[in-house]
Amino acid sequence: MAVLSTPRSAVQLASKGRPVREHLFRIALIASLGIAFVFLAALLSYVLVEGWPRIDSRLWENMPSVRNPDIAGAQSAITGTLWVISLTAVLTLPTGIAAAIYLEEYADKTRWWNRVIELNIQNLAAIPSIVYGILGLGIIARTFGLGFSVITASMTLGLLVLPIVIIASREAIRAVPPSIREGSLALGATQWQTISRQVLPASIPGIATGSILALSRAIGEAAPLLMLGAVSFIRFNPDGVFASYTVLPIQIFNWISQSREGFHVLASAAIVILLLILLLMNSVAIWLRNRYQKRW
Amino acid sequence: MTDIGTSIPSVTVRGPQAPGNTAALDPVFTVSDLSVFYGEYEAVRQVDLSIGNREITAMIGPSGCGKSTVLRCFNRMNDLIPGARAAGKILYHGEDLYGDHVDPIEVRRRIGMVFQKPNPFPKSIYDNIAYGPRVNGTKGKMDEVVEEALTQAALWDEVKDKLKQNALSLSGGQQQRLCIARAIAVKPEVILMDEPCSALDPIATTKIEDLMQQLARDYTIVIVTHNMQQAARVSNRTAFFTADVDDKGERHGRLVEFDETSRIFTNPTDQRTEDYITGRFG
Repeated sequence: MAVLSTPRSAVQLASKGRPVREHLFRIALIASLGIAFVFLAALLSYVLVEGWPRIDSRLWENMPSVRNPDIAGAQSAITGTLWVISLTAVLTLPTGIAAAIYLEEYADKTRWWNRVIELNIQNLAAIPSIVYGILGLGIIARTFGLGFSVITASMTLGLLVLPIVIIASREAIRAVPPSIREGSLALGATQWQTISRQVLPASIPGIATGSILALSRAIGEAAPLLMLGAVSFIRFNPDGVFASYTVLPIQIFNWISQSREGFHVLASAAIVILLLILLLMNSVAIWLRNRYQKRW
Repeated sequence: MTDIGTSIPSVTVRGPQAPGNTAALDPVFTVSDLSVFYGEYEAVRQVDLSIGNREITAMIGPSGCGKSTVLRCFNRMNDLIPGARAAGKILYHGEDLYGDHVDPIEVRRRIGMVFQKPNPFPKSIYDNIAYGPRVNGTKGKMDEVVEEALTQAALWDEVKDKLKQNALSLSGGQQQRLCIARAIAVKPEVILMDEPCSALDPIATTKIEDLMQQLARDYTIVIVTHNMQQAARVSNRTAFFTADVDDKGERHGRLVEFDETSRIFTNPTDQRTEDYITGRFG
């Protein structure tokens, strides 16, 4: 009864115009999302429509050509991309994960050199990829004498994505609660046993997700490989890590620069293939994350 | 308010076998003049106490008085904190725990630990128990080791049909008993417990306390607790810590009184102990 006897004006529950602002803010957020989405959708539908007539078996069964767009394919570019990216993964993942383990589990953060390493890994992640191309040309191709080969490309792309792999792996390792390490050490496990049997297994999903996303970046790179002899008309598949090669982004770039319309269609079809490979890799990353994600 | 007996009603105090002894006979640990530093900061100052064989020793006191810090010296877990350093001596059966030749890994194998928050590994119940024996190179009948440890921790009947299930699916109380079983599985001599019940409900707490009583037949137990009733219920001896504030405003943990639990709770010699257990501060 006390509630009823309170004068109406005593309790101010009426709107003070807040909902309008809330609403506007929400619309602004949705609009931002919308812009990103519209551009992505426009790009996808454009390449799909444009490339549709050429998305057929010729694309992966035939070799590139500049003479006849009707029989040209991208087989050597597809196999080249798979060679380069697989070797990049083999070279980068163990190095990147090992570096992340050192920084998270062993490095004494009060020491200046460890802080310098940390800061510079962040910096390395921001360096333009063309700079890595020049580095690869000067040191890997020339000084190491590896020439314009799959391994030169993989080592260069490896350096490019290494900081991303390290940063992603560190985050995954850091997400393992300290109580797990304490629990293991308190049972008389050594530090390495604790890392290899508790910390790493628990952080593998995060590491895998981050690594796949890093490799997805490498797969779309054209700039550094332009400097490393990814010549566009290679009419054979690489037969080893020292073979010449080309990759999809370079092949696409080259077809786009041709004047005949048929090659532009071909380029769009190759873009669709590249996007499919990317989509596949990202799906695996998402699947891994959802399947093995730990909740503490 | 001076009548302490009425402030802690109906508490059965677990008396030691030889009444009248303040120092434990046949001590497992003898701590003398122990100070613990984190960098320049002296967290605990000049502690002297001894831990009796197959007794339960409780360490009580307000937050920040250094009782967990002292506990973590017993298995050298403080080594993991950068800048942590212990001065003074902790003898384990007469051997200096911080001696140059001592391997902390070996220390932790003999002196197990149970933490405040249950921390089972994100693995199966079976693998949680088997982990300790495996890293210590135990070969042979792992199934028996697992069953024995779970039985001793009074968990076997609840989990025997789901050993392959993830340990994180257990309730909080079960997880903590699993952590106790995990510690037992490496057959330590001592089990250190750092506020093992503070994250548990009263029923789970009772189970852990009952378990401690049973384990004290075979193991030496040191428990840090905020709960004075718990210390009174389970322990033979109690160490009361408090924190002194120096002129720079820094808090330094200090052992105020160490005695048989019955005496600490009925006839403490220090005013600060009396104030704490009667609930006047802390």
